[in-house]
Amino acid sequence: MNARLLIITAATSARRALAERGGLVVSAGFYAAVIAVLGSLWRAAANAHGGHLAGYTGTQLTWYIAATEAATVSLNLRLIEDIGDDIASGTIVVELLRPASVLAVRLAAEIGRALPRLALCLVTAAAVDGAITRSLPGPGVAAAAVVALLLAMLCNLAAQHAFASAAFWVRDARSTWFLYQKLVFVVGGMLLPLEVLPGPLEHIAKLLPFMAMAYAPGRLASGHVEPVLLLVQLLWVAGLLGVAAACFTAGERRLQVVGG
Amino acid sequence: MRSAIEVAGLSKTFSIGRRSRRRSVEAVQDISFSVEPGERLAYIGPNGAGKSTSIKMLTGVLQPSAGRATVLGFVPWEQRRQLVRQIGTLFGQRSQLWFELTPRQSYRMLGAVFGVEPAEVARRCAELAELLDAVDLFDVPVRSLSLGQRMRCELAACMLHEPAMLFLDEPTIGLDLLGKQRFRDLLVRLNEERETTIFLTSHDVADIEHVAQRVMVINHGTLISDSEVSALRRTLLATKLIEVVLEQPAPPAALTSLTGVTVRLQSDTVVKVEVDTSRRSVRDVLDELLATFAVADLSVVDPPLEQVIAQIYTAPRPAAP
Repeated sequence: MNARLLIITAATSARRALAERGGLVVSAGFYAAVIAVLGSLWRAAANAHGGHLAGYTGTQLTWYIAATEAATVSLNLRLIEDIGDDIASGTIVVELLRPASVLAVRLAAEIGRALPRLALCLVTAAAVDGAITRSLPGPGVAAAAVVALLLAMLCNLAAQHAFASAAFWVRDARSTWFLYQKLVFVVGGMLLPLEVLPGPLEHIAKLLPFMAMAYAPGRLASGHVEPVLLLVQLLWVAGLLGVAAACFTAGERRLQVVGG
Repeated sequence: MRSAIEVAGLSKTFSIGRRSRRRSVEAVQDISFSVEPGERLAYIGPNGAGKSTSIKMLTGVLQPSAGRATVLGFVPWEQRRQLVRQIGTLFGQRSQLWFELTPRQSYRMLGAVFGVEPAEVARRCAELAELLDAVDLFDVPVRSLSLGQRMRCELAACMLHEPAMLFLDEPTIGLDLLGKQRFRDLLVRLNEERETTIFLTSHDVADIEHVAQRVMVINHGTLISDSEVSALRRTLLATKLIEVVLEQPAPPAALTSLTGVTVRLQSDTVVKVEVDTSRRSVRDVLDELLATFAVADLSVVDPPLEQVIAQIYTAPRPAAP
């Protein structure tokens, strides 16, 4: 796959996201409200437990939530539905008539589209959480968190494409979007650190790919020095990209044989 | 010279329905034809006739159940990636452009998709802007363009990699009268100046009349006609229209007494009659008209193509062997 094509696609898509100024402002406002409310709730919960909850201080929980929410809201929240619609309506045919991988171009476009939102989320988090906690993460923690956020987005996008490829086989794949979102929310650690979950569930959740989409950047942003999490994310990125590529290849083949 | 398209015995059967109610539908049955480079061809048929299935097979999106085809020397379903570098596709209801951006920004991305260098994209954009009369359009966000302007930009998008052949599926759908006329002229100009082969499907008869030199009609998955546009009228219609301007109004009875003729219009001094040429020659009818009435002017025309096509579409389905 041509790197220039992916870079140009991502850059064009980022420009497209920047052109949607209203959407950017709304998502930043939504993000600010969510991290302020959830951060306050978790801080209050930590304070009620003597200043610590499942090994996190109130401040750490605030940054945890800021990172997990940024990893999720930076992406198109209804991506599975959109991909499913494109497959079901035949719009994907236009992409099949180009000499490039449909999946790779779509992933590059989604990353490009997410980057301006992520940047805006990071600035918003620094302003909101900085004001609430009167502190900012150190440069090492921030750098690790940003890398983890990028890997989390890539994991999430690959998984969403794999889930959405169900539309190649079933007419209405919308239900998979609902299921997927709930999994990221709970067992992915978006709403709460996985350590808060009851024992066996915590262990199971840490073995699932969803942890790489929210928990990993949250854990690193909350100041836990665990570089192994980046390695785990990398492995999930590779695995999920492989699954998504296999699903799309099989789906395109099915489309070619059976029709849309 | 190698044909642009060679099709032999191409068929596509779909299985539809669930398990116990599963049945086969023959969307395309044993079609064969060839298209020469630089031809302007209309591929028409009513909804569900097999047009889109044929186009999907010819562009490699769909694999046939039987038969062979080559497009520009490639077997489409086996060499899709190579083929799509040589063809352009335009689907009237699907956009290649991103609405939030200007066409030029989308073209840069499409250029990268097709491996065209940025400097070359810029040069081709300038050329296409001139050719498609779109100099002022490429830097306006797509969402601010009218449909007609957008379609010109879509056409530029599918010409950016300089394809030898264009597949156009309902390209004028939704355009107003002037927009359609302009778009048709552009297609003809593209074909004449660049020798781009044009493979067009449309329900708009005027698209066929103004763009195509040859028309193929598909119905019930079978190719039922393949001829020059003018020949299609001549062979399929046993009727001619005679429009007569009389010097003074004629009594209706005088017209209805003409044999082998149906009066289609009579208003004041203008009369339009349809001649069934299997019953009577046009010359005979003209002689009788000139002998009976004081004629100020007259013209003989073929019936509208729309009527010819409607006649083909409504022909009974051939019995299964």
